[in-house]
Amino acid sequence: MVLFIVIPACRESFFKKSDMDDAIIIGAGIGGLVCGCYLAKAGMKVLIAEQHYKPGGYCTSFKRNGFIFDAAAHSFGGYREDGIVRKVFEDLEIDKRVEITRFDPSDIIITPDYKVSFWTDLDETINDFQTAFPEESNNVKNFFNFLINPDTMFLARMRSWTFKNLIDKYFRNYKLKAILSFPIFGNGALPPSKISAFIGAKIFTEFLIDGGYYPVGGMQTLSNALAESFKEYGGELQLSSPVKKIKVINKEAKGVFIKNGEFIASKYVISSCDARQTFINLLGKKMVDQDFLNKLNHMIPSLSMFVLYLGMDKNFNPKQNIGSNIWYLPHYSIEKMYLAAANRNINNLSEYMVRISSDKKSILAFINTSCRNKIYWINNKNKLIESFITKLTQIIPDISKNIIFKDAATPYTLYRYTLNYRGAAYGWASTPSQLADPDFRKPSFIQGLYLTGHWSTQGLGIPGVTYLGYNTANLLIKKEKTKK
Amino acid sequence: MSTNNVEQEIISIISDVSGFDEEEIKPDTNFFQDLEIDSIKAIEITVAIEKKFKIQVRDKDVPNITTLKQAVELVNTLLTQKATA
Ligand SMILES: Cc1cc2nc3c(=O)[nH]c(=O)nc-3n(C[C@H](O)[C@H](O)[C@H](O)COP(=O)(O)OP(=O)(O)OC[C@H]3O[C@@H](n4cnc5c(N)ncnc54)[C@H](O)[C@@H]3O)c2cc1C
Repeated sequence: MVLFIVIPACRESFFKKSDMDDAIIIGAGIGGLVCGCYLAKAGMKVLIAEQHYKPGGYCTSFKRNGFIFDAAAHSFGGYREDGIVRKVFEDLEIDKRVEITRFDPSDIIITPDYKVSFWTDLDETINDFQTAFPEESNNVKNFFNFLINPDTMFLARMRSWTFKNLIDKYFRNYKLKAILSFPIFGNGALPPSKISAFIGAKIFTEFLIDGGYYPVGGMQTLSNALAESFKEYGGELQLSSPVKKIKVINKEAKGVFIKNGEFIASKYVISSCDARQTFINLLGKKMVDQDFLNKLNHMIPSLSMFVLYLGMDKNFNPKQNIGSNIWYLPHYSIEKMYLAAANRNINNLSEYMVRISSDKKSILAFINTSCRNKIYWINNKNKLIESFITKLTQIIPDISKNIIFKDAATPYTLYRYTLNYRGAAYGWASTPSQLADPDFRKPSFIQGLYLTGHWSTQGLGIPGVTYLGYNTANLLIKKEKTKK
Repeated sequence: MSTNNVEQEIISIISDVSGFDEEEIKPDTNFFQDLEIDSIKAIEITVAIEKKFKIQVRDKDVPNITTLKQAVELVNTLLTQKATA
């Protein structure tokens, strides 16, 4: 047998190697992968343990009956010249591994009265909204101006605001407010009266104004590229390796136990998976501060999703924009939509998002939903698939005649593949009171433990967790450098 | 809590959130220019301060926490208000 020892060229060398890992990351979602890449690139000895047999978490794709479907995430934002995702992908050489395209418009909102789009050219977007709501013309301009020229201080001041507070400051027309709140609901799973204004503003800047990017070949290629870079920087990725326990001695994380009880020692443990699991199962209640445990039990997760996957025949020739996220808003009360989603059943489907793949071979559509339970989904999944397809005829009238494959992911499916609590789509619900809690990044009662990813109360979606992965790695790198 | 302790606790919070060593955090160090603090980290620092000192920072005071000196002043004022309330 020939052994090749690869010494990665780009590794910096201020870390001394030892048998012990410098850092173990739990979970190879985008958050964990980005964090791992930066740490490994800085020369740290890093292991990422992932329970699934492929990397990506919610950013994966799968193949069924010859069709390739994105499992959950289906586009991303934050890739403008000075965007966080662009910076990270350049730093980690992802842009060399994957070709990124952009769909124009990225998002289209259709209501019984209006059709407005988010174009790659912001002026065009503003024009769309102004044409639809001429009486709000100046407000539209001011609102988008505020978003693209964010005042750091003002954003920080908005910490206790809801998105409703923000949108009421700018607009009067309730239909316009609903249209602007709808993609916030879709991408944040909360209505304007509940979602943090800070997160709402971020969804606009990172998902909508600068959204619509897509890795050629599917979302999995992105996760695979991150995994490749990670390995090239010297990191070790163990797939099919669920972490079972975090070992703690004297209130300090010392490593993890993986599947077969094997112990891996490390200086830092970074959990990039579900936070309840991290504290309750992996650390164990005994290790968790009582006040924090009380808080944890009152934290509210985001809603889950019901995701529909359709495979289409060769004759499928839709008139709708391919690659765009098409949002259908049947009425103007997002608050009612949220209540319906929180009590989802097969008879209360109304709003949804649908996206036709660029090769027109497949369709992904989703609705927000409460988690319900496994039995409910066993009994109702197929019924919901059928009523969802009927609803889709509002946008794609003759869709049924071209469908040759149909399946869906229920909240339970999402949970099973990622272990996200109750199949939550975006980690903790992004309410103002759950925003930026430092204990969900670096718990004060355990040394050496960090959290990153969409359960760390600071961001969601691919841009959010990319930022968090990058930021968590930087915290550790700075810490290690100052020690030397 | 003495002023020195308040300052030390705040330094430790800022160091945790920014990743900068405690030594680098001086009374007039500007969070935004010198410590790479962005809006979400500013919120995180505020939440951590509230939790540590069991006080409530008003939204309008958040932009006034741009240096360690300002943060210590604000916390001391709020602690005094709490004690006399
Ligand atoms: C249906 C749907 C559509 C979405 N669409 C978009 C979109 O278009 N654009 C966008 O930006 N965002 C979208 N999002 C949100 C986005 O996908 C997530 O916010 C983001 O991918 C979360 O990344 P993460 O790394 O924090 O967590 P995850 O992706 O959940 O990764 C966590 C990883 O940890 C692993 N893990 C869990 N427990 C363990 C354990 N004990 N041991 C080892 N490994 C473990 C999991 O298997 C998983 O791989 C969507 C979400 C859903 C559900």
